[in-house]
Amino acid sequence: MGLEIILLFKYVPNTTTVNVDPNTGTLIREGVPSVVNPHDLVAAEFALRLKEKYGGRIRAMIMAPPSATKGIEYLVGMGVDEGILLTDRAYGGADTLATSYVISQAIKKVVDHYDLIVAGQETLDSSTAHIGAQVSSWLGIPYVYYVTEAELQDGHMILTRQLETYVEKYRVKLPALISVLMHTLQPRDVTLKNKMKAVTQKPVKVYTNNELQLNTLCTGLKGSPTIVAKTEFIGKIPRKMQVIQGKTPEEMVSWLISKLKEEKVI
Amino acid sequence: MSAPERKLRLTDIINVNIWDVDSKPHIVVNYDKCKNCPTKACVRLCPTGCYTETENGILFSYEGCVECGTCRVVCPMEAITWTFPKSGKGIFYRFS
Amino acid sequence: MEGMNILDQKFDVAIVGAGPAGLSAAYYLAKKGFKTAVLERGREVGSKSIYGGRIYAAPLKEIYPNFNSIPVHRWVKRERISIMPDYESMISIDYQGKEAISFTAYLTEVVKWMGIQAESAGATIITDVPVTNFYKENNKVSGVVSGEDVLRSDVVIDAEGVNRLVLEASGIVKPLKPELVALGVKEVLKGESKQIEDAFGLSQNEGLAWVFLGAATANTPGGAFLYTNRDSVSLGVVVLLDKAIANVKDHVSQLVESLRTAPALKNYLQNLRISEYSAHLIPEDVWSLRPERLVYDGLLITGDAAGLLLNAGYTYRGVDFAAYSGYLAGKAIEQAHAKGDYSAGSLSSYESMLEESIVIKELKRFRKVHEVMKNGLLFEKYPKIMSGVMKRMFENSDGPSKAWDAINESCKENQYSMLKLLIDGYRMVRSL
Repeated sequence: MGLEIILLFKYVPNTTTVNVDPNTGTLIREGVPSVVNPHDLVAAEFALRLKEKYGGRIRAMIMAPPSATKGIEYLVGMGVDEGILLTDRAYGGADTLATSYVISQAIKKVVDHYDLIVAGQETLDSSTAHIGAQVSSWLGIPYVYYVTEAELQDGHMILTRQLETYVEKYRVKLPALISVLMHTLQPRDVTLKNKMKAVTQKPVKVYTNNELQLNTLCTGLKGSPTIVAKTEFIGKIPRKMQVIQGKTPEEMVSWLISKLKEEKVI
Repeated sequence: MSAPERKLRLTDIINVNIWDVDSKPHIVVNYDKCKNCPTKACVRLCPTGCYTETENGILFSYEGCVECGTCRVVCPMEAITWTFPKSGKGIFYRFS
Repeated sequence: MEGMNILDQKFDVAIVGAGPAGLSAAYYLAKKGFKTAVLERGREVGSKSIYGGRIYAAPLKEIYPNFNSIPVHRWVKRERISIMPDYESMISIDYQGKEAISFTAYLTEVVKWMGIQAESAGATIITDVPVTNFYKENNKVSGVVSGEDVLRSDVVIDAEGVNRLVLEASGIVKPLKPELVALGVKEVLKGESKQIEDAFGLSQNEGLAWVFLGAATANTPGGAFLYTNRDSVSLGVVVLLDKAIANVKDHVSQLVESLRTAPALKNYLQNLRISEYSAHLIPEDVWSLRPERLVYDGLLITGDAAGLLLNAGYTYRGVDFAAYSGYLAGKAIEQAHAKGDYSAGSLSSYESMLEESIVIKELKRFRKVHEVMKNGLLFEKYPKIMSGVMKRMFENSDGPSKAWDAINESCKENQYSMLKLLIDGYRMVRSL
């Protein structure tokens, strides 16, 4: 039996290192490669551990241009079984509503059975954290976010949800959708064996709107009520490299606190 | 006419590069061995300044490493355990 | 091999590293029908590739029939060598040729192109995976290890580059020593192509290769370079690592920054913005760095890992030599396969083909250059003598002195015999 897991992910420009022109202080975007959204790697690790415990299969799903195949290959390299790529010109320019519509309809149409949908907390490039909530709404299934642990019990899933000062336990019916708290786990490395499979077997199913037959008024730019009107770069924050002083951890901490106060950070 | 070019700080220079920084270091330094180092050449010769000399000894941070191998070669104390980052992490060159 | 996952899939050839050497081997072998896998530690093919900035074309033309589609930036039609006694002045020799034999490019792009050639020919490239060791059966290299996974193959090509972690792990070479390598540090400075052409007096597609000696390396043996790309300049400094340990007092990045901001280069580098900063080790004493053999049972060693890089004093030649060595390794495997024998003896045709090729011929021809460079005169004494000569000729308030007198006096001042200088000069000119 095992768990049939769908992993939702995004392939985003790698902005973990922000490139700033040292003379003008403006952002440099040229040639910035894409990566699997780091928070989705945590979700992938979460899903892989569930699979190791309960067996089953993980399929990574994305709505994106075909270049996102590289992202699927990376996830398969980590141990994910297959990829599902939803790609069509009519899906381009989508906001989170139109994106969640395509993903949820695709799940209905092309995924015969699933127990759990796992997503990352949010994306690196837009940080909306909408997709999980919206997909679960379209599908009419339970949604729990900030999940740190999951356990199967009598066909239900016991979920631990971590908030700032307390921990909640949920018992949900399957299928359900969870998003995993960022930084909860350290994503595993790509292995030769899995990456070889990704590259030579290409376990990726591609669906365009020919197959999905979605109403294109609900997809892409047309289906997107949200428009990002303007993006403003908030300017370069000058870095000051300082080495923490002190002989003992206590000394170092008090040194750090005094410096942060000095800079009016705290 | 433009103003004369000024030298940039190393931290600003390396800011133009792209890394996919791993969450775990690919290089490990045995600081105990650094204490008796006669050259501390890593501090001057690591091109991205990953090694800093402090009053408490050498401090190493792997995030800005460009994987050139210099520190490993110039270290006279064999204090550096040096590997490449896994999973395609680390520096990502575009124009070199 | 306990705890190892041996992959079901087996290849004819496994190649460590998707650089110029590994990919050129893969391209040749895949074209000949060998089931070839290239394992690359970087995220993408080319994402870890870095070099000075110029590639010699002829060997690549021989390897790649569709060489014409290689991402060239500019063909080098102008060469300039400048001696910098300080950052404010320089003495330059210009050469303008008719036929360009080398071109400037980003290695990241060239290697990516080579990857496309290899994949189109049928090779499998696996990125994100660093090889950690060779897999051996009965003492013969029979595959590669990455972490806990083993990929078996009939024969392996090591094209891992200058940091030879795999060759070290297998005991074939010892860790690098400072006297064997140089450190290159480079900035890529971007602008518009028109801006580059105006600043350097170049026409479209025409490139300049410029070498600096003297102050540019803080008088440390090595050199500095400037290459014009399409819309950028590659500016870098190379220092012999053992000399740098003693000589480089500031942080090594300051050498490039001092050059970038040098008053002598002000007119050339204005309004360019830094877009990448990179560094790499360069095989320097290539004969000592070279592994004892370049073939072992089931294994061939190519490119920088084999020390197959030419230091001609005024220029390095690594990319085309690496590619060519990979190509020859491919040929040797083809021959060994015909004999059904991948022992060192059978693969040794690789060594003999290399010996006959431009690679080893050129390496031998320039063997002396390394000695000349190591003695340091080129970097300390000559710039001072030359500067003294020029000062006497051009800055003498009593009027210009005769060139001969100027050289003579400057030699005396710097305690160097004029005869020696002439002999050195003759040697240098011959070796260039």
